[in-house]
Amino acid sequence: MKNIFYKSVVFASSVTLLLSCKPNLTVPTPSKGSIDASRYVAIGNSITSGFADGALYYDGQMVSFPNLVAQQLKLVGGGSFAQPLMPVSSIGVGSTGNAPFKLDYSTDCLGVTSLAPVPKAAQGDVSAFSTNIYAAQGPFNNMGVPGAKAITVAVSGYGNPANGSGNYNPFFTRMAKNPTSSSMLSDAMLLNPTFFSLFIGNNDVLAYATNGGASDFITPAANFDASINAIVDSLTKNGAKGVIGNVPDITALPYFTTVPWNGLTLTRQGQVDTLNLAIWSNGTATGRYNFKVGNNPFLIKDPSAPLGQRLIKEGEFVLLNVPLDNIKCHGLGSIQAIPNQYVLTATEIANIQTAVSAYNASIRAVADNPKNNLAFVDVNAFLNQTKTGFVYNGITLNAAFVTGGAFSLDGIHLTPMGNALLANEFIKAINVKYSSTIQQVDATKYHSIIFP
Amino acid sequence: MIKKLITISILSLPALLNAQGFQVNLQGQTQQGMGGAGTGLVQDAAAVFFNPGGVSFLKENTINAGATATIANGEFLDAASSRVSRTDNPVSTPFAAYGVFGSLDTTKYFSRFKFGVGIYTPFGSTAKWEDGWTGRFALTSLKLQSIFFQPTVSWKVCDKLGIGAGFVLGYGNVELKEDLPLYSNGTYGTADLKGTALGYGFNAGVYYKPCKKLSIGLTYRSQVNMNLNSGTATITVPQSVASNFPSGPFSSHIPLPQVLTLGFGYQVNSKLALALDINYIGWKAYDTLAFDYKNNTATFPDTKLPRDYKNTFAFRLGGQYKITEKFTARVGVALSLTPIKPGYVTPEVPDADKVNLTCGVGYKISNKFRVDASYTFENLKRTDNNTALQLNGTYKTYLSAPGLSLTYKF
Repeated sequence: MKNIFYKSVVFASSVTLLLSCKPNLTVPTPSKGSIDASRYVAIGNSITSGFADGALYYDGQMVSFPNLVAQQLKLVGGGSFAQPLMPVSSIGVGSTGNAPFKLDYSTDCLGVTSLAPVPKAAQGDVSAFSTNIYAAQGPFNNMGVPGAKAITVAVSGYGNPANGSGNYNPFFTRMAKNPTSSSMLSDAMLLNPTFFSLFIGNNDVLAYATNGGASDFITPAANFDASINAIVDSLTKNGAKGVIGNVPDITALPYFTTVPWNGLTLTRQGQVDTLNLAIWSNGTATGRYNFKVGNNPFLIKDPSAPLGQRLIKEGEFVLLNVPLDNIKCHGLGSIQAIPNQYVLTATEIANIQTAVSAYNASIRAVADNPKNNLAFVDVNAFLNQTKTGFVYNGITLNAAFVTGGAFSLDGIHLTPMGNALLANEFIKAINVKYSSTIQQVDATKYHSIIFP
Repeated sequence: MIKKLITISILSLPALLNAQGFQVNLQGQTQQGMGGAGTGLVQDAAAVFFNPGGVSFLKENTINAGATATIANGEFLDAASSRVSRTDNPVSTPFAAYGVFGSLDTTKYFSRFKFGVGIYTPFGSTAKWEDGWTGRFALTSLKLQSIFFQPTVSWKVCDKLGIGAGFVLGYGNVELKEDLPLYSNGTYGTADLKGTALGYGFNAGVYYKPCKKLSIGLTYRSQVNMNLNSGTATITVPQSVASNFPSGPFSSHIPLPQVLTLGFGYQVNSKLALALDINYIGWKAYDTLAFDYKNNTATFPDTKLPRDYKNTFAFRLGGQYKITEKFTARVGVALSLTPIKPGYVTPEVPDADKVNLTCGVGYKISNKFRVDASYTFENLKRTDNNTALQLNGTYKTYLSAPGLSLTYKF
């Protein structure tokens, strides 16, 4: 009996021991491979800056993709990563002085209430443009400047207000060491970077594209190529390694793809007749626009068309910033042609796509040039995946506006989760090129659109 | 159209709810101590489950009831981020109770019939992941229980052969939760699917004892289709999109697979006995998990999740040794091959080919009472990239299952 008692005690103790047993998976130790992450500098445009929902604001900056990359680089010897942060309390500011969008209830001219992006305030925090923060917070590792193009990176005095409105970049004014003489590149070099990311070129077409080709211009491919080479030459002259991203096709961006080309829905024959009559009264030849009950193409302005207007064709874009109330209640797109600034025609799209192809060829060549030997991120391919859906840890993100989860409320910049996934693309490319094992970001920790 | 343009329409939920059956092999303490083998070696009333054909070979009328505490600790290492998430599983206690009755007057032919009844839990799963874990949008918790009730008749055809069969009435309840990637005020939406199910089937067996030392068992437990007809889907999402994701009834169907078992028992001498079971499990029936929601919207369609399980084998080997007249010690090992193909592992049951180590003790308190205890340990590790979820990483689970049962003979 004593023996049995003894055995029972042994049995019970071993059971207790085994119950408290928890698995302990070995977590791989990240390694830096052949990079020196101690001084990482990111050069780029609004996407690099953390711009989102149409504005630059603190929360967006905190989830800028280079900030997320830097956070992972810290695990392999990376240093601090200074960003030109907007004040936490600031509402933020966009390129027209606007406040960021939020998703909220909005009542249109027909009295229909639905969810739509609405500005958080009538005006953004324009005081940020006149407050230089370099002395307090600089020098900056994040040299992402909203609006910057490849051809402006090395322009000195890029933030000089004396150049006059439209000829300087106020986002750079606030962060430049010396707004009158600094270039983005010269300020970036102040940190003597050991590692860099360069993701620029979107605005070399976007400034043109987002205005419907009505203003600004497409940077000529030769100028783009020269700029990229010059930037990389400067960055690598002290032996720094880096990663470079290419330019996404605009057809992946909801800003261009959300409003359907044939979104003019006519429900009654009376509407159709009235419209055809109205067109007639505009002096257009009979039957040219044969509106019918159902979905119809919008009427757009096109200086090259007879009488300067025509119906939009499939594959052409009406931009996200088109005044929807005017479409709904004031005959825009039907009685009145949609102005050029809200439309990208097939010719304009072709011009943009030709330029993007040329830019991407330059970027690839610069990356692969043995002199530079940079890690290369195919951002274009990455964002194109969102057209069909990008699955990640049980979530499907796609390029649909608001509902897709990848793009923020401006239809061009990414959501926090989108930024985290972009950061992962950069990290993957670095790991491939430099034999490092830097861990990716767990993107499920970052949200997408905020719903009311 | 313009209204449509700006009215929010959320894309269909990425992977609303993943669930799967999960076999539990905790139906008798004696057998648990011996790696789960008991089809070819009939010792007690748990034969109602293990081999209805062997029930007629039981010499006494008995009642046997027991429970097993299962404590599973799991981890997931996300391959890309190296983030480790842990489970926060509650302890679950599958139970089993059996009664076997019949005439003990062996002079009567009628004593060749035995009647049995069993209540046991052949399938179940509990997984609760810590808050905010990497796979939260695939699953946050699953609780799946099944309770089978089985009245049984067993007939000892001759001294060497017994046959038996039981009707199985299955009751199940399931609750499945996941987070939805719809964010508002610092929290995500959630989906909670809850319901009860009924199904029926049978359990039949043959027990053959060609000589004193050897016994052979063959059993077939049919597939039980658990039909969940009136579940409740509770969808909590930001208020502005609530009408797109209506809560309401749903129906589903989970097949609990058929199992064919061949078992051997070998009484080496008066003290030592060995048992071996080979299970062939029809998991192929678990092809798709579908949820049919009553209140569909354009953004909330029915869900169909590919499972694509394959049929699989398990091998269970155990031995017991009578140390004294009162005290018996048992030990066993089981090898279970996973039914889940690469690319289909989900966080509810991150199953893998696995080895169970078991041990047990039995103590005869008196001629009427005995107590049996067992302990099972399981170590699971599986690395997989789930194709549908793109959830890529390594799961590791330690499962401890101590159990106790009491037997009364009359």
